[in-house]
Amino acid sequence: MATTAISTPAYGGEYSGEQSGLWSWLSTVDHKRIGILYLYTALFFFMFGGLEALILRAQLGAPNQHLVSAEFYNQLFTMHGTTMIFLAIMPLSAAFFNFLIPLQIGARDVAFPRLNAFSYWVYLFGGIFITVPILFAVAPNGGWFGYAPLTTKPYSPGINIDFWVIGLQILGVSSLAAAFNFLTTIINLRAPGMTLMRMPMFTWMAFVVQFLLILAFPVITIALVFLLFDRFFGTNFYNTVSAGADPLLWQHLFWIFGHPEVYILVLPAFGLVSEVLPTYSKKPLFGYPVMVYSGILIAVLGFGVWAHHMFAVGMGPIADTFFGLTTMLIAIPTGVKIFNWIATMAQGAIRYTTSMLFGIALVALFTIGGISGIMHASPPADLQQTDTYFIVAHFHYVLFGGSIMGIFAGIYHYFPKIQGRLMDEKLGKIHFWLTFIAMNLTFFPMHFAGMLGMPRRIYTYDAGQGWDLYNAMSTAGAMIFPIAMLIFIYNFFKSRKSGEIAGSNPWGAGTLEWTIPSPPPEYNFARIPTVTSRYPIWEGKEVDHESARINAQEGKTAAELGIVMPYNTIKPLFVALGLIIMFCGLMTTPILIAAGAALLVFSLYSWLLSPLEPEHH
Amino acid sequence: MTAPAARIPAVHTSAPAAHHYTTLGLDNRKVAIWAFIGSECMLFVSLISTYLIYKGRSVVGPFPHETWTDPSTGHVLKPILNIPVTSASTFVLLMSSLFMVLALAAVQNKEKPKRTRGERILGNSKLWLWMTAIAGTTFLGFQAFEFTSFVHEGLTIRTNLFGSSFFTLTGFHGAHVTAGVLWLVTLLAIDYRRGLGSRDSLLVDIAALYWHFVDVIWIVIFTLVYLIK
Amino acid sequence: MKGTDRLRRLASYAFFAALAIAAVSCNEAHPNSTLVPHSDFGREIDFLWNRLLLLGTIVFVLVESALIFVVIKYRRRENQQPPPQTHGSTKLEITWTLIPAVILVFIAVPTVRTIFITQAQAAPGSLNIEVTGHQWWWEFRYPEYGVTTANEIYLPVGRTVNFRLRSADVIHSFWTPQLGGKRDVVTNRTNYIWYTPDSSTASSVWNGFCVEYCGASHANMRFRVFTVTPDQFASWVAGQKMPAHFGAVGPTLTAGPPGYIFPRDKIPDYAVPHGPIPADLRFTPGLTGNAARGKQVFSGAACIGCHSIAGNPIAMGVTGPNLTHVGSRSTIAAGRFPNAAAYLALWIKNARKMKPEVLMPTLGLDEYDPVLKAKVTAATGGLTDQQIADIVAYLTALK
Repeated sequence: MATTAISTPAYGGEYSGEQSGLWSWLSTVDHKRIGILYLYTALFFFMFGGLEALILRAQLGAPNQHLVSAEFYNQLFTMHGTTMIFLAIMPLSAAFFNFLIPLQIGARDVAFPRLNAFSYWVYLFGGIFITVPILFAVAPNGGWFGYAPLTTKPYSPGINIDFWVIGLQILGVSSLAAAFNFLTTIINLRAPGMTLMRMPMFTWMAFVVQFLLILAFPVITIALVFLLFDRFFGTNFYNTVSAGADPLLWQHLFWIFGHPEVYILVLPAFGLVSEVLPTYSKKPLFGYPVMVYSGILIAVLGFGVWAHHMFAVGMGPIADTFFGLTTMLIAIPTGVKIFNWIATMAQGAIRYTTSMLFGIALVALFTIGGISGIMHASPPADLQQTDTYFIVAHFHYVLFGGSIMGIFAGIYHYFPKIQGRLMDEKLGKIHFWLTFIAMNLTFFPMHFAGMLGMPRRIYTYDAGQGWDLYNAMSTAGAMIFPIAMLIFIYNFFKSRKSGEIAGSNPWGAGTLEWTIPSPPPEYNFARIPTVTSRYPIWEGKEVDHESARINAQEGKTAAELGIVMPYNTIKPLFVALGLIIMFCGLMTTPILIAAGAALLVFSLYSWLLSPLEPEHH
Repeated sequence: MTAPAARIPAVHTSAPAAHHYTTLGLDNRKVAIWAFIGSECMLFVSLISTYLIYKGRSVVGPFPHETWTDPSTGHVLKPILNIPVTSASTFVLLMSSLFMVLALAAVQNKEKPKRTRGERILGNSKLWLWMTAIAGTTFLGFQAFEFTSFVHEGLTIRTNLFGSSFFTLTGFHGAHVTAGVLWLVTLLAIDYRRGLGSRDSLLVDIAALYWHFVDVIWIVIFTLVYLIK
Repeated sequence: MKGTDRLRRLASYAFFAALAIAAVSCNEAHPNSTLVPHSDFGREIDFLWNRLLLLGTIVFVLVESALIFVVIKYRRRENQQPPPQTHGSTKLEITWTLIPAVILVFIAVPTVRTIFITQAQAAPGSLNIEVTGHQWWWEFRYPEYGVTTANEIYLPVGRTVNFRLRSADVIHSFWTPQLGGKRDVVTNRTNYIWYTPDSSTASSVWNGFCVEYCGASHANMRFRVFTVTPDQFASWVAGQKMPAHFGAVGPTLTAGPPGYIFPRDKIPDYAVPHGPIPADLRFTPGLTGNAARGKQVFSGAACIGCHSIAGNPIAMGVTGPNLTHVGSRSTIAAGRFPNAAAYLALWIKNARKMKPEVLMPTLGLDEYDPVLKAKVTAATGGLTDQQIADIVAYLTALK
């Protein structure tokens, strides 16, 4: 494999014609900027959710503690889960979808730039909406999964659950809008020659995820509509008290969404690792078609396993058998991915950059999470495991050891492309090792606590139950995370200012995003490239290299190149604002609903009737 | 750069598709509307499944297809669904899809010369958009009539599982029809303002896709709720 | 790069060490362990678990070793040739698809078998216990014996017990980790789970928990299971069937001696609650209670709105636990506090401070009710410490 023939110019930081100032960020429709907005916001919520976890762990560090009240603890664990899933991991993936997909497929932007901005603002407002209550101790407290009838009005009369139901609906709008956008982008804006089987793996996994989003989110939307209607309008969907409702309706609807959701959480990280491992092994991804098909199979099968979250509910032996078998089946494509990653590195020339370390950690840790997942797949065995800390261990291994490790691998790998500078490798490695140790020290003992009988979602436990040691270990491990994160944040901001200039391809990677300057100019590609291979830089023909040469030039503005860029516009922000005001009105006064609707409709019409970009001939 | 004051531009109300290369050669909005319809399918599947799960499980009446005697008052409540009337409204909605097809054809063929009276009528996009919108609004009128008469007969969204699932399902559908009517009225406004021509085919095409989808959903609802006992 | 592989080896050694520790853990140190079965159901699951653990460990060792090997062996060296640009291998893909599939068959087959065995109907002649989950306590009825109790059950060893599970409010889950799996207690639905405690478990105490998040005091919804010999069980039942052993009114007053109760001093530490008492909840020291007076106070206070005492015709409430033999139980507040006069007094005085958001109102005069957010006054039925002491004496006598 030849290193790129394009020289790395001494260039980093702003590109010519880059806009600056608050207004330029509020009115941006540039996918790269929106990606950066998602990244910063999601990192903030990641740390906020981490803080919630730290308090939880402090409370559980020893038996019979009273650092927080039972009520507040229940809010903490609810919000920790809700924050991490909806406000941290999904938006971190969205940051990468935003920044990376157009660059990987050779496009100038996503299909609907203004809708893209709208998705971000709805996420931000929704995130604020659902997070602020905890500052006043009225946060949602029904668990992130909100089982009815506990979350119905008779059993949760306060406003806590209202915030949860409405907040999730708002966030659902954001995710769905983004999904329509990215799906269209990937289907319709690929550069000439980029067939589906030439797309980079991250874009492939992102593609699969958009299908999951489009099909799964409407189901939870309806589940939440039912709960919202029950709580606000007195309907009977979950009215077990007087109308004979079946609480399993909520569970089925929720998990039909909830299981695809976990693949939404992990597939983007898989995609990132599939970019990272080949780059630092200097070999292509092993088994590309199988990796594609296994991703598709996981998504499809993912819709057929949901009731494995309900093995204790008494569905009967036929249902238990069916879902047990499908759950075991889904292990096969998942395991195949692990083996292909190992084979990618085999016979390679591995460089242990921070990004690579995180990527290797994903393979190691997700394997553990996957194995415990198989253990849950057997319904009778699961009757001892479910609702215990054994499950908590499992999903933190797949979500932290999987998603988060993959996302960090992606951040270290793509930071130079986003910011034009390299992150400090020494600090990166310290961050990695502290995180790796913290993660294992926190979550491995939970396997034991669970198998030794410790239930989930308890704010305290008695002494003499045999759980003290494991909880102490978990709490100790948890306390290492803030140190690791602080080092990461310091590294992030320091490198932004004074990191080593990166150039267009500091890692010698092979895909299209590395053929353009770092950071990319606003138009991404001076000329839309023609693609003849999966790795245009490594394996491309002359036409790929020709495109790369043209696209590597920096310093040119869009105007100079005759490229028409979309207008900045604040209208998506106003539509998002109108939406959130409407939802706030639902909890306060109908006047706000009307005001919000007016703002929404007016801004929406204004948006739809104005052009995306200037007329061009 | 900020956007100029709103005016109704020719085609560039969205992504670069019209003059830019796209992989499938389709406009982005065409791809997006299918994705949107996919998600809407799941939305209605969830609503319809809930209705079917709760079918026959209401503790108190009124019921859709059976009589119910209130044990405390002795009142006898007849089956509440009115199949003949709803069949009429279903017919109206089906017709509206036909009108939508004609509207799209009229827009696509706007520039072709019309020689006969028949061709002129068929080619009148405003006429067919109006017919679609009116048919849709008539359907909504039937729904409103049905809802209010149910309430008078003792079925509200709070009465029982049937009431909650029925009104939510048909209400969501009605909301979708309403959004569709607003969309049609917007197209009409554009047609009056600057005229819709073949270059606007896409706008009308995606509206038509949406409209037909809403119609298909109604056929499913009508069959599963009204026709099957 | 030495550091990398050294630390990774360390991680795998640590795992095995931990596994070894867990494996040799004895029951005393881990009283709720699911790894040591004590019933037929438990053994079925244990067989599956052991197989899962074995296969999981094998897969773990193989995969992680392969990973570690690859990561170390193929690190970049100086002046290295570009590595071979392998794209894939169909043979390998087939191999590592089939092998996991075969491994899964070894899990799937016993799994399906166990599903049908454990979900079959309980054997005829099983002991039926009706369990009703409430926020946040357990109601237990033995319909064949006419016994109603709360938060504590006695089981005869060697006889299958069939639990019928229903909920009075939200979803709970019924679990005795050392005796069997869990089953959710779902509103508007009846679930079942059965198991047969081994004969070797006679004279044992087991912890039980609610394991489905059910609100504020989910963590405080615990219960106790006593597995006893059939004779002891029969004696216990005989005692529990009788009306209250103190002050009962009615024809069946001439009760025999109280039935068998598991000796308090034999209850191991893990089954004795150590829940801390709120620091700001105090009780006048040195008061003596009078049971007869206590019965009067009880029968005129809010207590009768929620509690039943068979033989006390005024106490017929069904919202709270049946107190007919409350004096015989080892814990109060659903396994949260020991059943002793001091705790009982504080519980009656301000249950809501002892256990967050319980339905039982604060009853002590001048005490602050954290749910109603108001002080209890004489007008709202507040009880003085002396009155509470009397009630405690009454309840303690109800053995």
